Order: sequence, then structure tokens, then C-alpha cells
Amino acid sequence: MAEVREVTDATFDSDVVKNDLPTLVDFWAPWCGPCRMVAPVVQELSEDYAGKVNFVKMNTDENPQVPTKFGIRSIPTLMIFRGGELKGTIVGFRPKSDLKKRIDEALV
Amino acid sequence: MDEPNPESVRKMWNYAEKFAEKSGTHLHPDRFITEGVVLGLASNIDHFGRPICPCNFYPVKDENGNWPEGLYLPREEEAKRRTWICACDEMQIYKYCHCLLFVTEEGLPITEHLPDGHEGREIYGLVKDPTPDKGRALGRVIERQQHQA
Repeated sequence: MAEVREVTDATFDSDVVKNDLPTLVDFWAPWCGPCRMVAPVVQELSEDYAGKVNFVKMNTDENPQVPTKFGIRSIPTLMIFRGGELKGTIVGFRPKSDLKKRIDEALV
Repeated sequence: MDEPNPESVRKMWNYAEKFAEKSGTHLHPDRFITEGVVLGLASNIDHFGRPICPCNFYPVKDENGNWPEGLYLPREEEAKRRTWICACDEMQIYKYCHCLLFVTEEGLPITEHLPDGHEGREIYGLVKDPTPDKGRALGRVIERQQHQA
């Protein structure tokens, strides 16, 4: 079982924007309660969508540039990118079924 | 990531427990969630002097001391205001804690008092306040002022 990979301000462009696969980014922070609830769900989804969707996470405490660029306020925030474009934003903890629905919508 | 000072952690646990009781809420039943938030608040006390909410993204100042508009303020600026100091304005007005520190017994944030269109309603739906006679100190002041106007 592969861990969801961390991306940084420096690698966001190559890991997310230029990625051939649709990519879900989990913007999180170490001391954020709901982030701790979202993380295992994102991990499960990364296994469910293996080979179809790329899943990564970004520590907003250590990487302020990308969250600033995308206007993030609350965390956790999940963003789905496809072909370099932002296709969906999900703020706060959601159950897995909700997240699946939002990912599937972004894949159409 | 530095571990917060044990004294700050003790102070925040004490505050959280007391505020939950006072506001008629519960700390999140999953201790892992609550502990994360308490450590985050304690860490912000250590670094910025105030328990700033750890569940927001705060931008950083550039080399000229400026910061982007349209987002929350850098932590050192938020520490000078009270909006996101725990218990934050949203908790004091609407009894809503998006960080899930102060919640119902089942672990859900109270959304009953939120205004229409607030993201909390979209995320969690309507979560009734089980103790409407408690908490919302600032919300009650605002309501009284509106009533008198």
C-alpha cells in the first residue's frame, strides 16, 4: 500500500499541473483536526483509483505559495486538477461517498 | 515541526475542557482529532502568543512585509485580532467550530445558528444545537443590539 505522496511549492507544477493523470491534492496542516479525519479517506481513495487518479498532499504550513495562489482559507481543502486546470474544490471533511462522487464528476 | 511547550499544551487542554462545558458542547469523541487541535493551538501560543485556529491557511508576509489580499492574515497579524483566536468569532457567534474541537456528543459541529450559504451548512447539513441556552455569548450581544436598533 503506497502512501499518498507529499508535494511542495517547488514540485507542484511537475507533480500536479503537468501530470498526465487527473490529480487530487489534499491541502493539510499537521495540527488540524479535520485534516486527520480526511487523510485516511484520501489514502483509501488513492487505492480505489490507483492508475486512474494521482493522489498527493501538501503541507500548507511548509508550502505557502500554492495555497495562496489558489485562495485557500480553511483546511482541509481538496482540489482536483485535470490537464493542468482546476476542476473541483472540496472544503472540509466529507464522507468517502461524497468524495467519490466529486472525483467522478471531475473525471467526466 | 516542533512539539509545543508542555505548559502551553496543559493550558489549552484546560481551556478547551472548560469552554466546552461553558458552551454546552463536547470535545470531539475521537481523542486523536482533539489532541491535534489542542497541540496546534498550543504551538500557536508558543510561536505567536495567542491560540490561533490551526485549521486555516494563513499566508506569509513577503520580504517587504506585505501579504496577499482576500485570504486570512498572516498568523502574526491574526494574533493581534480576535477573529481566529480560540474560541473564535464563529464559535462565539454561531457556536460553530470548523476545527471540530467543540462539537456535539456525536462529534458533529453545530450548524443550526449559521447564516444561509455558510460552508458549514453545505458540509454538514443542519446540525441542531442540543443546548441552545448555552454559549454564543457574542451572538447574543449582536442579537440584542439588532433588537434594540
